[in-house]
Amino acid sequence: MRAPDAPRRGVPTVVRAGVAIVALLALPFAVGDFWAYQLGLLYLYAIAALGIGLCWGRAGFLPLGQGLFFGLAAYLSGLALIACDETPWLLLVLIPLAACASGVLAFAIGTLVFRRRGESGPYFSMITLALSLLAYQVANNWESVTGGFNGLKGIPGLPGLDSYTAAYYVAALALISSTLATGWLYRAPLGVLWAALSYNERRVVMFGFDSNRLKAVAFGVSGLLAGIGGALYAPQQGLVTPQLCGFALSADLVIWAAVGGRGRLLGPVLGAIVIGAATSALRDRFQFWEIGLAIVFILVVLLFPQGLVGVFAPLERWWRGGVRRLAPIAAPARSAASGAARLAIEAIDVRLGEVRILDRLTLAFDRPGIYCVIGPNGAGKTSTFNVLTGELAAQAGRVSFDGRSIDRLPTHRIVRLGIGRKFQIPSVFADLTIADNLAIALWSGRAGALALLRPSLRRWSSALRDELELRYPFLGDDSRTAAELSHGERQVLELAMALLGEPRLLLLDEPCAGLSPQETAAAIDAIRWASERRGATIVVIEHDMALVRKLADHVFVLHNGSLIAQGSVAQVQGNAAVQAIYVGAEK
Amino acid sequence: MEPVLVAQALNALFGIASLAIVALGLAVVLGLLGVLNLAHGELVMVGAYCAWVAQQNGWPYLTAVPLALVVCGILGYAVERWLVRPLYQRPFDTLVVTWGLSLLLRKCAEAIFGLGYKSLSEPIGGTVDVLGATYPRFRLVLIGVSAVVLGGLVLWYAKSRTGTRIKAMAGNPDLARALGIPVARYASATFIVGTCLAGLAGVLIAPLVPVQPFMGLDHVLMSFFVLVVGGLGSVGGLLTGSAVIGGTNSVVSALSDSTGGYFAVLALAIVFLWLRPRGIHART
Repeated sequence: MRAPDAPRRGVPTVVRAGVAIVALLALPFAVGDFWAYQLGLLYLYAIAALGIGLCWGRAGFLPLGQGLFFGLAAYLSGLALIACDETPWLLLVLIPLAACASGVLAFAIGTLVFRRRGESGPYFSMITLALSLLAYQVANNWESVTGGFNGLKGIPGLPGLDSYTAAYYVAALALISSTLATGWLYRAPLGVLWAALSYNERRVVMFGFDSNRLKAVAFGVSGLLAGIGGALYAPQQGLVTPQLCGFALSADLVIWAAVGGRGRLLGPVLGAIVIGAATSALRDRFQFWEIGLAIVFILVVLLFPQGLVGVFAPLERWWRGGVRRLAPIAAPARSAASGAARLAIEAIDVRLGEVRILDRLTLAFDRPGIYCVIGPNGAGKTSTFNVLTGELAAQAGRVSFDGRSIDRLPTHRIVRLGIGRKFQIPSVFADLTIADNLAIALWSGRAGALALLRPSLRRWSSALRDELELRYPFLGDDSRTAAELSHGERQVLELAMALLGEPRLLLLDEPCAGLSPQETAAAIDAIRWASERRGATIVVIEHDMALVRKLADHVFVLHNGSLIAQGSVAQVQGNAAVQAIYVGAEK
Repeated sequence: MEPVLVAQALNALFGIASLAIVALGLAVVLGLLGVLNLAHGELVMVGAYCAWVAQQNGWPYLTAVPLALVVCGILGYAVERWLVRPLYQRPFDTLVVTWGLSLLLRKCAEAIFGLGYKSLSEPIGGTVDVLGATYPRFRLVLIGVSAVVLGGLVLWYAKSRTGTRIKAMAGNPDLARALGIPVARYASATFIVGTCLAGLAGVLIAPLVPVQPFMGLDHVLMSFFVLVVGGLGSVGGLLTGSAVIGGTNSVVSALSDSTGGYFAVLALAIVFLWLRPRGIHART
């Protein structure tokens, strides 16, 4: 069972956040008007840099043209401020709308670019870079609206808030609330899934999450953050120029996020404020300041990805104290239909160039139980799984689940019907804790889109999870990340994750490879137990005949992409064709 | 043939050649090493500044070629050795590091040459008659040099032993290393060839474009889109990509304005990303 609340060391969250907030609010009295003004501007950049940290440090893709969203919101908000000189109350709606416009645009661009999975990293970066240059051109050329090269001039300040100090407080409040909101997202399941995506996107999809949508949402949020910065920039500065949309600000944001530490919530904020302040103080004194900054950026990426916040890590550990484990909450039951799955593969053909991978393969899994798929290397076993989960397209044939054709569905939709899969090479989320790894599996098929915003979902547990923790005590160890586990433990963790989704059809690709005899026995035990207790259909790819004998209710033998025999273990072992393949006897 | 048609055809050929020669270095490095060198455009810029230095000092234009090759070769060696080599296992970080390098080179150019535009005079002036059409001689030279460089590189890659070894390296570096191929040296050499090609392209196009610190951005993006559309690994792809991107850009720009042309190219690249992520001439 899980430990109840333990007393924690360190400073409580409320106090930590309170100290930081009071410090920010008191700062103008300490530094004077000039620096209050400078800092107010840097806070707005820091909000945008938060978004870079979210995309790059969390979700693992790097937008190189974030200036587009900052600039767009700045222009929109500037135009609104000019237009609403007489009706200031309208600004309460229009300025937030300006920020949202950037968020919506970013989400739309993300949806377009991430539509295709894989290889999206560099493509995405290049397309965002190109978009920001395009935005610069548009802002520069569309003189009637944007004021052209000289920019949109004479933008009034926010009504009643146009002193330097007031502008500082507006920026500081925006930064505080944006940081708190982003921190919320990082703690919520959504943030965990973003991190999971950057380690292993395929695994996330295999839990039934739409990875493209998740990435588009991440980019949308980062666009919104840049939009908040931009929308407040216009009244604060009174001038919006095309340079905001273009390359220079986009590049600065990336540098600040990297040097500050992209992996942590406060890294990009710290980077924007510290590097930004240092730049405005020192740029004119040192001719080569910007060259030096570019060198520092390169060194940080090469040698010190944690950035500035990494330097403070030991201090922070003391400040934050130990990890607290909260009482678990029972996860709701899975929403998909229950009962045994009926899966049928009919006359599937898969060719890659000249090579026939699957050749009119027909398999039927219509009763609950454990099916083993065996066959020599290259027989098409893993390819069969890939066809089932929609990762490999078949040229001909049909795959149906409960009588419903699934071969045109995207992978995450197929999985949501109640299919779980364990890969041959253990693929867990290495840098997440064991608890988060298991939690992701629990969210699979249970958590709706909005529920992913609730941090309490990280405390979900289920009867099955408790039983698994009893069998494998290391699963209850919260202090370790999956990267610290041995190979065998990772196999067990992934098996546990596949089981926790309580799928009706479970696909296991060599679940016992690399396990010690004890671990193998425990794994077999768990598989049998899952099959009997849950009434699930389990399909196991296996080479080890001793294992097959222990597990299989029914065996399929594949060779060169087609089915050559099926039946009980004894039946297939007695089959002449099977013997010919394995022993190489004359036909 | 109508002289107008000849001039149009030559213009199209010139457009394709100038895009292809600029994209070639990026294609070599991305295709063989899997590194998307975001500083590619800045290396083109370095080549262009070499040409400007040569012309400024009154040296013959051809001296810009060895100058650019030496400068870009040294840069290529250093960058591969100290920035890219530690990151072959982290392809995404090579993109970030070369992006940082592009900033660095741009800021250096700003510090040395200033922000202003430099314009070069065409080293080979005048026009020639081609089938009745008068055409600038330097553009014809650019088409010719691009064709020779492309053709020579392809022939050497296909026929030489080194070419075969590089193919082995690109296909499976670990296996190639096990076979005794000095993979690290070949990777370094390949990267240097890529940067030198960028420098050469810079020398070639310098008289035709304004030379300034920010010129690299456009070149690296256009080159990248050429590769997105054309696909990696073949000259056919490079030329098709150049034709499609260059054609789209000039047709749409003529119909609307340069912003429209730019937008069309970007939209085209996104469409290709969905429909043919490996480009028209995909290497299987």
